[in-house]
Amino acid sequence: MKKYLFLFVLGLGLVACRKDEVNQFDGPSLEDLNGAFVIINSLQASQDSVDFAAGESVYFTADLSKTSAWKITITGQTSGAVKEITGLSSSIDVSQSLWTGNTTNLPIFKAEMCKVDLTFTNEPDTMTVYVKVLAPKTNTGFLISDFETGFNGGWTSFVQAGANMDFQIKSDVSAPEGNSYYNMAGTVDWDWLIGLVNFNASAYGASTFPLSSNPNNVYFNVMVYGESGLTNSLVLFQFEEDENGDGAFTSASEDMYSLQVTVDWVGWKMVSIKYSDIPCLVNGSPAAPAGEGTHQSDKIKTINMLHLANPVSGFAKAKLDYMIFTENAPLNP
Amino acid sequence: MKNILTVIITLIAVSSFSQEDKKVQYVGGARSIISNADFSSDQEDTVTSRKNSGGYALIDLGFKINPNASTEILGMVRIKNAFGGFWGSGVTFDVRQLYVKGVVKNALRYQIGNIDYKLTPYTFYNHNADLLVQSSSVLKIKEEVLNYESFYKNNTWRQQGAAIDFAFQFPKVVDEIKVNAFITRLNPSNLGNILERLYGGGNVIFTQSKYLTLGFNHVSIFDLKNTALNDNAYRNNVSSVSYKATLDLKKNIFGISGESGISSSALSLDTSGGLKDYFINIQANFQNKKSGLKVHLGYMDNGADFRSFGAQSKRVDFNQLNNFYERYTNDQIIRPLSNYDLYNDPTLYSNSITTGIMAYNPAVNNVLPYGIATFNRRGLFAGLTVSNKQKSVKFDANYYRLGEVRGQGTIKLRSFNSINSTVEFNFSNIFNWKKEQKLTAGFAFQDTKRTSDLAFEQIALKSTTLNLGLEMELVEDLYLLANSYYFKSKGNELMPVRNSEGEIINFTPLNISGEELCLAGGLKYNFTPSIYLAAIYESNTNSFSSVSSYRYNQFYIYYIMKF
Repeated sequence: MKKYLFLFVLGLGLVACRKDEVNQFDGPSLEDLNGAFVIINSLQASQDSVDFAAGESVYFTADLSKTSAWKITITGQTSGAVKEITGLSSSIDVSQSLWTGNTTNLPIFKAEMCKVDLTFTNEPDTMTVYVKVLAPKTNTGFLISDFETGFNGGWTSFVQAGANMDFQIKSDVSAPEGNSYYNMAGTVDWDWLIGLVNFNASAYGASTFPLSSNPNNVYFNVMVYGESGLTNSLVLFQFEEDENGDGAFTSASEDMYSLQVTVDWVGWKMVSIKYSDIPCLVNGSPAAPAGEGTHQSDKIKTINMLHLANPVSGFAKAKLDYMIFTENAPLNP
Repeated sequence: MKNILTVIITLIAVSSFSQEDKKVQYVGGARSIISNADFSSDQEDTVTSRKNSGGYALIDLGFKINPNASTEILGMVRIKNAFGGFWGSGVTFDVRQLYVKGVVKNALRYQIGNIDYKLTPYTFYNHNADLLVQSSSVLKIKEEVLNYESFYKNNTWRQQGAAIDFAFQFPKVVDEIKVNAFITRLNPSNLGNILERLYGGGNVIFTQSKYLTLGFNHVSIFDLKNTALNDNAYRNNVSSVSYKATLDLKKNIFGISGESGISSSALSLDTSGGLKDYFINIQANFQNKKSGLKVHLGYMDNGADFRSFGAQSKRVDFNQLNNFYERYTNDQIIRPLSNYDLYNDPTLYSNSITTGIMAYNPAVNNVLPYGIATFNRRGLFAGLTVSNKQKSVKFDANYYRLGEVRGQGTIKLRSFNSINSTVEFNFSNIFNWKKEQKLTAGFAFQDTKRTSDLAFEQIALKSTTLNLGLEMELVEDLYLLANSYYFKSKGNELMPVRNSEGEIINFTPLNISGEELCLAGGLKYNFTPSIYLAAIYESNTNSFSSVSSYRYNQFYIYYIMKF
């Protein structure tokens, strides 16, 4: 009996023979990767004008003789906005090159003519086509402000009486979205605070901001501008929650979460953060919240935006634009 | 019914509990390491600190509580103090272990919390794929520290979850049926786009007699749907049959053993169906009872799309950076992981299962970078173990002659040769000395080739590792330790670049040429078998960087205690 069992198991182990895979291989062909580079079909856009606001999109196609690292650079001729798409393939198609109107580097695209360049990492060739944006894309979410319609009467503000103070909405071509942004500049040598704006939910006709109750799904987004040669600006966003629903924020017994942004870059930059990731800060250091200790995005009553700088650091300047809450993902401008 | 089936007690568990008279015991360990390093490189370097000293003391203090005869609770905390810390600065407190285990009705054994688990080499197994030669002398101390830190015990993975096992015993046909099952959590949901990921499975082992064992194994990594805002759930299933049959004759033992199975891995929204493949591993065994000679000869065929991340996760992620002299030269180039780092830095090691193809260093192990469960390998293997009657000389060797199943970037296939061997001379047995005197030599050689008429498809890479370790007892419990570790690799490889789904999207040419030599010596004093103090000095040179070779000398003091 034992011998039969032994032979049975021996047979079990010898049953399989793999089907032939000699003509198959994984990954791109090495022959393709190392062969001569020839453009078989030049760059083409699926349409020469596109209305992103209406949900349209545009894609680009090209065919190459071998797998190559490529980059499509779309540059707004008026805004200077840039969208980059990269890939590694011998054929560029809709699955890789679809453009829905978003940008890689701020500013946001406007209704404008865009230049589309296709370049290659290891080849000198460049191909160019043009696409006209009839209307830029619109973003879903709760827009706190894009500063296009002036200072909302429901907001409140305070500006120190320092030197060279310039807290106001300005309109010029440097705006990353639309034509206007909020400028914050000045010298205050006795206090960290230079100026502030309180964005109250009541300015939008509600007691709290109309957001999802899941703080993991809510993202706060804002575009912040850093001035060349200045790295002393701090922009502090305080999110005051009315946890007990009494219509007021009580600092001693309710949560306030704070996002402190050190503006140490030059130009416009998108800052996005999940609401549940925003810490509670006291004088810039993490601290325990005063209230229930749970992020409650649907109970945010006021957002305080403070422009701060070390009083010994001199003149400070920063700009803001396009403050928006989005759901499920950060803003893809 | 009682005559047919008897539920047996899990004897090991019961006996271990019955030995415990005390309700609370203290278990744990302590370790202190002091080191001083002197670093230099060929290129001018006025940036990197030449000297580096540091160290720490730590204690793992565990409370093992037996509230009753069939339950055990272990909680262990770690207090670690980096030298230089003062009044609490540099002190960390961590929970190192936490579990509850016990036996239900003398029939079912369970463990909840931290579990050290493995099934079979193709389903759930912690392969040690990067330390190819047997550690001895100084390297043995270092490897013990690595294993202790990462809970590497007999190829188990430390996971958090629950495990049960129980067995049935029969009077006829089958001696015993044993059932093992586990469930662990690989990652939690972030309530956004990351789903809760679990890892579960088990096996049923039929022991027909001492001559035949048959096991049915299954493991699955799976995402729990509706735990995040993501419908694209991942699943990796592996099912296998393992077997071992033995023919015990008067002078010799013949046997056959192996494991064969299938795997599938896919995302639920992937319309292509994902990857499916199979593997076969079978080996014939021979043992001569008189001489102790053991020989095995086997065949393996692991499909190119075989994925079993419980067995293919590596201990070391080779994409990570060093913690010790991470950068050097005035240009502050990155110092890549070396063999020296693999032995010296426990923080490079992980005890998590990675659901993806991990990076590896082809110079270290290009033949089986994921252990015996490496995908896309087919061929023969053989092994030999022999020792003389006095046990004064032991020899062990394993050889693999493998090839790819499917090409990468070409239909031309790589071929692999690998040999690992260890010879151990126990002079105490040879000369009948009372004191322990042992010399261990380890050797590993790997060769990878892909021939082609096209130069860009050609691959030729050779790696050699040699380790000599001496342990000599000078006076009672005082040992002289000496170690020489040499590693050389030369050639080229085309390393696949994979996307997040594991598909190859490009290849990166890699030219390798270098040597690494580590000479170490020191003294070790055993206070008891589980408490010792060792002072070690070592010198390391490394020429693998194309920019600048480097060297450093290092002095260590180890104090290690287990209780």
